This record gives sequence, C-alpha cells and structure tokens, in this order.
Amino acid sequence: MSEVIVITSGKGGVGKTTTTANLGVGLAIRGKKVVLIDTDTGLRNLDLLLGLERRIVYTLVDVAQKRVNYGQALVRHKKYTNLFLLPTSQVADKTAIEPEQMLEIVEAMKSEFDYILIDCPAGIEQGYETAVIGADWAIVVTNPEISAVRDADKIIGKLQAANKKIKLVVNRIRPQMVKDGTMLDMTAIDDILSLECIGQVPDDDKVVDSANRGTPVVEWKDSAAGAAYRDIVGRVCGEDIPFKPLEAETFWQRLKHVFGH
Amino acid sequence: MQLIFSPNVDFESIREDIQRKLEEGSNFFRRGTVIQVAPGALSEANAGVLRKLFHQHGVLFRVEDPAEEPPRPAPKKAAPPPQPEERPPEPAPVPNVIPVEEEKKMLVINRTVRGGQEIQTQGSVMICGNVNPGAQIIAGGSIDIRGTCKGMVHAGAYGDATAFVVADRLMPTQIRIADRIAQPPEQMETPTVAERASIVDGKIVIEPIERQEVKV
Repeated sequence: MSEVIVITSGKGGVGKTTTTANLGVGLAIRGKKVVLIDTDTGLRNLDLLLGLERRIVYTLVDVAQKRVNYGQALVRHKKYTNLFLLPTSQVADKTAIEPEQMLEIVEAMKSEFDYILIDCPAGIEQGYETAVIGADWAIVVTNPEISAVRDADKIIGKLQAANKKIKLVVNRIRPQMVKDGTMLDMTAIDDILSLECIGQVPDDDKVVDSANRGTPVVEWKDSAAGAAYRDIVGRVCGEDIPFKPLEAETFWQRLKHVFGH
Repeated sequence: MQLIFSPNVDFESIREDIQRKLEEGSNFFRRGTVIQVAPGALSEANAGVLRKLFHQHGVLFRVEDPAEEPPRPAPKKAAPPPQPEERPPEPAPVPNVIPVEEEKKMLVINRTVRGGQEIQTQGSVMICGNVNPGAQIIAGGSIDIRGTCKGMVHAGAYGDATAFVVADRLMPTQIRIADRIAQPPEQMETPTVAERASIVDGKIVIEPIERQEVKV
C-alpha cells in the first residue's frame, strides 16, 4: 500500500527540497519503490539535488494537461533504479496545475509506488493547495528560528483544518548556539508547535557540498546531517529510533575552526 | 457594508442606535469601513447627520445605489441572472444593526489556535488549548484559555469593560479589554500560576488567580 507524504514548511529556504531528496534516496536505499514529485513549478530544484537535470524530457505540467502519461515524464535515478522523479516545468507557473489534476495524478501513481513524496513550494497560495491535496500526511520542516517556527505554525493550522496528520522535522540546528542559549531549543519549538518530531538535523556544510554534486547527504557516511536523515527515513518506515543528542563543538574542533580548517 | 433602514422606525432612534454602536468602540463598524445607503432611503438632512456621525469615527458614508457593486454570493442559485435593474422589491427590510443584548453563549474551542487563525464571537469563549503567536481571539464577553496564551486577545470587544481574560500562562503579544490596550513587557518570563487581566480604575491590570489543577 502506498503512502503519500507532502513535505512543506510555509517559509522558504528551510530545507524542504533537501529533506525530500534525502528521504527519497534514503527510502530507495532501503529497497522501497519511491517517486518524488516536484510541485515548485517555475522554480524547480529537486532535479538538481538529485543530479537529474539533464535527463528531463517531460514535466508535471505536461502530465497534468494530459499531453503525456506520467510514466513518460518520470526520470529514473542513475544509481538507485527504484527511485523516480516527476520534475516540474521551469517556464510555466503555479497556475498551470489545478489541485484536482494533481489529485488525479497522485491517485493514478498509488498502485505503482511504495512512497510518493511531494515537494511543496514555499507560501500558502495555489502551489500549496496543489501540493497538499493528494497527501495522506505531511512533514513540516522548520528551522530553529522565530520566523520559520511562526510560518510553520500557520501551515500546521491549515493542514489540521484539512484533517492531515503532521510530523515535524527541525533542520539546520546549530548545537553550539543552542547550548549557548542563542538559538531556539527543541523545548521552545515544541511549546509552540506541539507536534510529533521525527527529525533533528544539525547544520552541516556537507549539505551544500552534496547539493552541488547532486548526491544527497543521506548517502554520506561521514556527515552528521546524513546520519540524522537516515534516522528520519527509519522513523518514516515506522521504526522506533531514539534521538541522539546533538553534540556541540569540542574545544579542538573550535580551535580547528579558528585556524580555518 | 450596506445599511437598509426599516420604514417603520423613526430616524432619531436609528441615529441613536448607530451612535451607541460607534461609541462602544465595537468591531461592528471598523475604521475604514464604507457604508452605503440606497438613494431615497433618507432625506437630504438626515443623510447629512449620519455622514457627520460616521466621519467622526473614521467610517466612510455614501448615498449611492449599491447595485453596481460585485454581487454578493447568491443564496444557492445555480446561475443568478445578471439583471440588477430588475431586482424584485426588497423583502421587509430589517435594520442591519446587531441586537444590543445578543445571546451570551459560551463558545468552546477544543484545540490550539495557531498563527493566522482568528476566533470571533459575540459572547464569551473558552479555549482548551494554546493561543499561539499570530492568532487572534475577539470576544464580546470574556476569554478563558486553558493553556498558554501568546497571541492577541480582545475581551469585551463590543464595549463591555467588565470582561476579563484568564489563562494558565498569560503571555500575550497584546491584550485588549473593551477600548483599552495593554502591551506586556518585551522580555517576559513564563508565569507559574494562572492569571487574570481585567480593567481596574480604567487600566488593564493582571493578577494571579487560583485555579485548581487537575492532576492525573
């Protein structure tokens, strides 16, 4: 039975697309058949993070407007052959796809895939409606900063009004700042959002590097963010994985930073 | 907003009703609202009196035919015929003013009110959950929050200065009672006891109250 999950946030730049790409690859590594749908029409990025930009022929807009079947638009991942991307158009805008069309596409895909992950655009307008309509449940991504939490709260209100179950991922945590009391900690976030949290991802330079290379950080054994994403993948699969305390920098690591390496 | 006046009521009592609504500082006539009245409904002199009254409270008043306005959502008709000229005669007009003693019901909200959401009620409201920053609670009566209040709360929104706000942890962005506004200090510690805000000697005062905690 397939599960349809929308990854959303309200605010832009908190890591929706990064989370979608990492979850997708992580689930594919576990042998699940996965499709990632990019609904950020006009500003697509998901193909870049997966290193698939040059393979795109048709897009979600072509599928929605019935020019091709979704099977013709799917791009298969180079390394994980059970991972697919349904990219979106970079020239059309978000009015090109009606929520009902999206629902139809998602329903048609359900029989073929274990997981359908939908990458939602920032904002709360039509793009949001389109992304959310077909989802069974939602992952809300936020950052430990006041504006991201505020926007997440707004989105959560909207999702709850639409009767969607929601789980939380907190991205780009900087343990040293949390320790110093200069960044919101999990308690402060939970005070406002009060949701089940399935991921705490530390801020990690390797995420930027991995985006440039088109290989999501979840594959990287030496990355703290990658380890956090592997845990999230496990929790999405229903495993009970305890949270590891995020480690603040040790004295030697700080010293290394001071000397530039 | 369009006002329709009952022909059976004399102008003086209409004027008094409107003046009272305006002076209560209620949200019924918000600042910036445009009031429209169909031509012929009022005499020239009476229209002038109302215009002056509304202008004093920041409400625009116009005598014009509202038929050119975008049509309001039609009451369950498949396709409303676009013939504004041939409208049937208005059914017995009702003064479009809230009855003074609106039934004071208690509204119960059994969830957290999140940012961007607004609860409005004529009576009092109890919220079993939190009121998050960016949320608004506007009540004609009092507000009871069984949780943390971090949003904007307005009790006695139609002028009732005896209304109050109670919360387990009262730390709102702003608190309003009737026509008073209070802003809590920038840096606020989480209160350890339930508190009540009410008007004492014309000022909003916050004091701790005892509320029995149900221990599980």
